[in-house]
Amino acid sequence: MAEPRRVVHVVQGEHAVSSDPDVALATVLGSCVAACLFDPVRRVGGMNHFLLPEGKDPGDVRHAYAAMERLVNNLLKSGATRNELRAKIFGGARIVPGLPDIGGRNGEAALRFLENEGIPCLVSHLGGNRARRIRFWPTTGKVEMLLLDGLEPPHEVPRRAAPASGSIELFCVPRSSG
Amino acid sequence: MRPRVLAVDDSATMRRLIEATLSPRGFEVFLAEDGIEGLARLPEVDPHVVITDINMPRLDGFGVIEGVRRSPTHAGIPVLVLTTESGADLKARAREAGATGWLVKPFEDDRLVNVLRRVLSI
Repeated sequence: MAEPRRVVHVVQGEHAVSSDPDVALATVLGSCVAACLFDPVRRVGGMNHFLLPEGKDPGDVRHAYAAMERLVNNLLKSGATRNELRAKIFGGARIVPGLPDIGGRNGEAALRFLENEGIPCLVSHLGGNRARRIRFWPTTGKVEMLLLDGLEPPHEVPRRAAPASGSIELFCVPRSSG
Repeated sequence: MRPRVLAVDDSATMRRLIEATLSPRGFEVFLAEDGIEGLARLPEVDPHVVITDINMPRLDGFGVIEGVRRSPTHAGIPVLVLTTESGADLKARAREAGATGWLVKPFEDDRLVNVLRRVLSI
């Protein structure tokens, strides 16, 4: 596969969208999940990289859903068509045996989101116990994956949600009667 | 009487989440997939409050806010924005258009319910 002229690294909690054929989006995943979504007709794609934050409810996958929705919204803003979107999903490894399988839950959440939204998942390479290095060509959907065997897994810490997440601002509130 | 909520969101996942959160907590939830459908359902649903996403096809959340405020029958009901967006410029635009409040996804069940109770004074 030809080397991309420019590589954009997508770090945990972020996403990137591009319609530049010379760009590859790249990341390294342990228990995090990256969804690579692309519209092969409009030739635009994007990648996110998320990890469920620590929370009081270990089954709560809303942060994963919000990460997926953010990526879809930005793809649509960049000219993608919802019906043409295709997905490839990677990551969700169980890097440290004995700890809760947060990687598995990340992967399940991403797949459930795609199913709910009717976005076909062409490839999913999830789970296992090895880290992955991913490069994604957003205009064609091509992916290059390398399993990092025996290398130090990426340092991933479940992050608290971004400051704006869950924030509430009321502009006007009715006066209470009485 | 259960308060009626009209939730407008193009994401099927989010529509399911909103319904799963509010229905067991005493709200009657009605759903629409975009702004056009949301405004079309206003007379039939006769909601006490509207929750709307911002980024949607056909008609976005700003269109929903403006449409509700122009409605001859429902101009006065609260309209809450529930979105992944958090930009100050977008919030200001929503406020200008007549939104009641702005909530950033992901939402917590209790906080969403508390906000609804507050804007509905229940």
